[in-house]
Amino acid sequence: MPLTTASPNSALIRLVNLELKLASPAGPVNILRGIDLEIASGERVGIVGPSGSGKSTLLMVVGGLERPTGGEVWVDGLDLAGLEEDRLARFRRGAVGIVFQSFHLIATMSALENVAVPLELAGASDAFERARAELARVGLAERLEHYPGQLSGGEQQRVALARAFAIGPRLLLADEPTGNLDGETGRAVMALMFELADRHETTLLLVTHDADLAASCDRILQLQDGRIVADRRSGSRAAARA
Amino acid sequence: MRRRLPVSLALGWRDLKGGARRLRIFVACLALGVAAIAGVGSLAAAVRAGIAADARTLLGGDLELRLAHREIAPEQRSFLVERAQVSEVAQLRAMARRPDNEARRLVELKAVDAAYPLAGSVHLAPSLSLGEALGKVDGWGLLAERSLLDRLGIGVGDEVLIGEGRYVLRAVLEREPDRGVQAFFGPRALVALESLPGTGLLQPGSLIYRHYRLAVLPPETPEAVAEALERRFPDAAWRVRRLDEAAPGLQRFVTRTELYLTLVALSALLVGGLGVAHAISAWLETRTQTIAILKSLGAGRGTVLSAYAAQAGLFAAIGIAIGLGLGAALPWLAAGPLGERLGVEVRPALYPAPLGLAALFGALTAALFTLWPLARAAAIPPATLFRDLVAPMAARPTGRRLAALAAIGLALAGLLVASASDWKIALGFGAGAAAAVLVFRLAAALMAALASRAPRLPKPAWRLAVANLHRPGAATPSAVLSLGLGITVMTTVLLVEGSLKTEIERTLPAAAPTFYFIDIQPAQREEFRALLAGWPGASGYDEVPMLRGRITRLKDVPVERVAVPAEFEWVLQGDRGITWAADPPAGTRIVEGRWWEANHSGPLLVSLDAEIAAGFGLRIGDTVSVNVLGRELTAEIANLREVDWNQLGINFVMVFSPGALQSAPQMALATIRVPPGEEDALERAVGARFANISAIRVAEALQTMARILSGVGQAVQAVAGVTLAAGLLVLAGVAAALRRRRIYEAVVLKVLGATRADLFRALLAEHAMIGLAAAAVAAPLGTAAAYAVIRMAMELPFRFTLLPVLLTVILSISFATIFGIGGSLRAVAAKAAPYLRAP
Repeated sequence: MPLTTASPNSALIRLVNLELKLASPAGPVNILRGIDLEIASGERVGIVGPSGSGKSTLLMVVGGLERPTGGEVWVDGLDLAGLEEDRLARFRRGAVGIVFQSFHLIATMSALENVAVPLELAGASDAFERARAELARVGLAERLEHYPGQLSGGEQQRVALARAFAIGPRLLLADEPTGNLDGETGRAVMALMFELADRHETTLLLVTHDADLAASCDRILQLQDGRIVADRRSGSRAAARA
Repeated sequence: MRRRLPVSLALGWRDLKGGARRLRIFVACLALGVAAIAGVGSLAAAVRAGIAADARTLLGGDLELRLAHREIAPEQRSFLVERAQVSEVAQLRAMARRPDNEARRLVELKAVDAAYPLAGSVHLAPSLSLGEALGKVDGWGLLAERSLLDRLGIGVGDEVLIGEGRYVLRAVLEREPDRGVQAFFGPRALVALESLPGTGLLQPGSLIYRHYRLAVLPPETPEAVAEALERRFPDAAWRVRRLDEAAPGLQRFVTRTELYLTLVALSALLVGGLGVAHAISAWLETRTQTIAILKSLGAGRGTVLSAYAAQAGLFAAIGIAIGLGLGAALPWLAAGPLGERLGVEVRPALYPAPLGLAALFGALTAALFTLWPLARAAAIPPATLFRDLVAPMAARPTGRRLAALAAIGLALAGLLVASASDWKIALGFGAGAAAAVLVFRLAAALMAALASRAPRLPKPAWRLAVANLHRPGAATPSAVLSLGLGITVMTTVLLVEGSLKTEIERTLPAAAPTFYFIDIQPAQREEFRALLAGWPGASGYDEVPMLRGRITRLKDVPVERVAVPAEFEWVLQGDRGITWAADPPAGTRIVEGRWWEANHSGPLLVSLDAEIAAGFGLRIGDTVSVNVLGRELTAEIANLREVDWNQLGINFVMVFSPGALQSAPQMALATIRVPPGEEDALERAVGARFANISAIRVAEALQTMARILSGVGQAVQAVAGVTLAAGLLVLAGVAAALRRRRIYEAVVLKVLGATRADLFRALLAEHAMIGLAAAAVAAPLGTAAAYAVIRMAMELPFRFTLLPVLLTVILSISFATIFGIGGSLRAVAAKAAPYLRAP
């Protein structure tokens, strides 16, 4: 489904005074505290920060998986804070791919079926052909009928990448995508992710603990206690692109 | 092993803290099945205890002698009087009518002497002594059940004619101590024995039973008197009943009903067993990590097996205990209404034998259904345990475990056969149940195979639904099997009842005569025939002479010494109606031998029912001896006939050649069909001219049968309901076990863009397909089972009724969707974020 273009400006993501409080037995916990942020289309943004700083939550909010308790969340011209659950699902199906640290593949579906699901949900009549092509692109043409339990961690994350990119998303959200992988495999997966993002011209929002990985991005956001404490351009990525 | 056991028990106990609430379904499934078996057994025991406790009242004394047609000889009477107080009762069917001849009703007439009743008491309204009620004061007294008053439109104090006798209704008969359960064709009417000759009903050959009840005088004992009677009068035509045969009909009814109900209850336990297997598998699946860790720390296969077998044993014990408690309570709950229907006092108490049997069935079922999952869990190396969901466990339990499994299965089958009153039916049930499980397994496998090969459907919801049917770890086999078995039992029960009802309410009336007329005296036959044959619209008039006779010898061997298959014992029990004919009756099908010449005057010949002859091992040329009115007649078998006992025409096991029987005192039996609306007029016309002839309306007799059937039907349906409930419990358990996985999948699908409606549609489609698959197998399987029950066990024609089948299909789909979706709604509503955070 094409997204509306009623965005107040040209940024793909615009967060205004974003807040998220969660209830806990010890009282409310402030996870995100007044975040203001704009990310332009095509940018690669790395989010770093200590555990519990709100990185993953920020990603969930941008993906419409977590509802903010205050502020505005504009993604591709839509204010997600005002959308109900199913509308958010339809928004994701057309525009957002997500990759998780724990892969989150459906264990009872083959690799091919896992990749085809978002295409089917988006109503693509050629879902399986495209899924097959996407898996071939990540080097898993020989593993189409394998179930997640029969694949290595690196292979599972490649299936997850194929699934995330299958719909040609405008935005890819990646939450510690190499967190469960060894160094070499992690690097290979990251290379693949950047390559796919380039090919699909996808905006990338990447949560990571890995400083090298963050440095591969155009821009690095530093989060602490639910606030952005630093927002800087990354030299290495800019140099690489130049 | 001895040293390891305490360790394994301790491990099992500690591991229970890991959320044994998941085993609730295990406990509930077993409890339900055990409760059904224990309940049926306890209730039957309570009825039997009631019969035993009231035996003297039901029998009417310590001993009873029964004769057809005749009174006992004076010599026999004095023998009895020396040893016991004697009460004489005569029973026959007669027409009671209003003096204006405007209303009439067949009654079960009982004429009693002054000594009646020797045991128990008669309840009357208004309360009168029996002497006052029946005595001759301005005419003889009559007592009748309320339905006769309603039918004749009379009240206490009104006159009623029975035969040629004039009676005054003195009170309503509310309770008769020795009634028990008898299939009555009409209401009971009680008169004084002395008044009976005045009715003109005591004609030669009339069907009258004389009962002599004995209250044995000390120091004699009932046993001693019975033996003395046997010694003194070895050839007497009476049938002696003792206290242990106080209500043989009721006892047979209880035994038969208990057998069928127990089999249906066993099917509840079988379905419950599937729930047990599923629950323990789901439980062990959650313990795989623990098992793997235990194994990595050095625990052997035996230790793991013992630890989890101890857990299973504990929960099985809890389930069995709950089931026994529920089953044991049933007699207290059902005693009142059941006692009223059966006419005996049902005695609620704790009956250890049925409870022990139910516990044994429960324990064996639990063992049978848990051993396999336990052995699988114990047999698998830790590494593969982690991947079981996707790559089904290749490891097989050891040969010893398989042997144990086979031994438990055999023990269960042995217990089923040994505890049933009819081992053939029990064996048939066991084989049928095993076949049903196999068929459903195959159907589930076929469904999964079809789903995996199905073309990809355009709608993602449908595709997801179809995919969910065949994925590794899918619910399909368990759901189809448990729901399908429950639905099959319900279909079978409803179809059996539907077939019997159709037969009684539609098929039989369509072919049956409208009336049976009994006690037509030889002198009345011409006039009676003329009246009926000339009746407007009347058809199918049939009339045969009838006598009563008791088979005494087969091939010259006394019947007491002949071994007879159980299904043919009835032929030798007491008197049978017999007839004679010069020509073969219309519709006779001779399968062997030939009919005698019409003018046959040689030795007595007999035509015998072919099936019964085969049961007795009799052939053409063999002899059958029959005691008719104290005279023993021996006939040679001339031919064998095929008799269709399911038709309501006049049928006899034995048809003799004319001759010796022709001159014996006898009456005739006639049947006729008249158009609807003519019944009352015909009955009135017969009553006006032949006071002694009784008319039995077939439609009313069939209604009585339908009423009895409906009572049994309700009981069977109730137990079948337990089976279905067990199936639904399993279904709920399957849904519960899959809930975590479903929630996770739903969350991932939501991340990928699925709406709640998408997820709901997928769930709906998946469970509707499971329901449809279960119904698609249950409908033909239930029909086949009902066919087997009707044709093989009951030997009746099978009448298919569509409604129960449609009902079960609808129920199956509804239950599958309601229980399947009900258990998964949380998945549809689940919030995504909490499940997606990295651990």
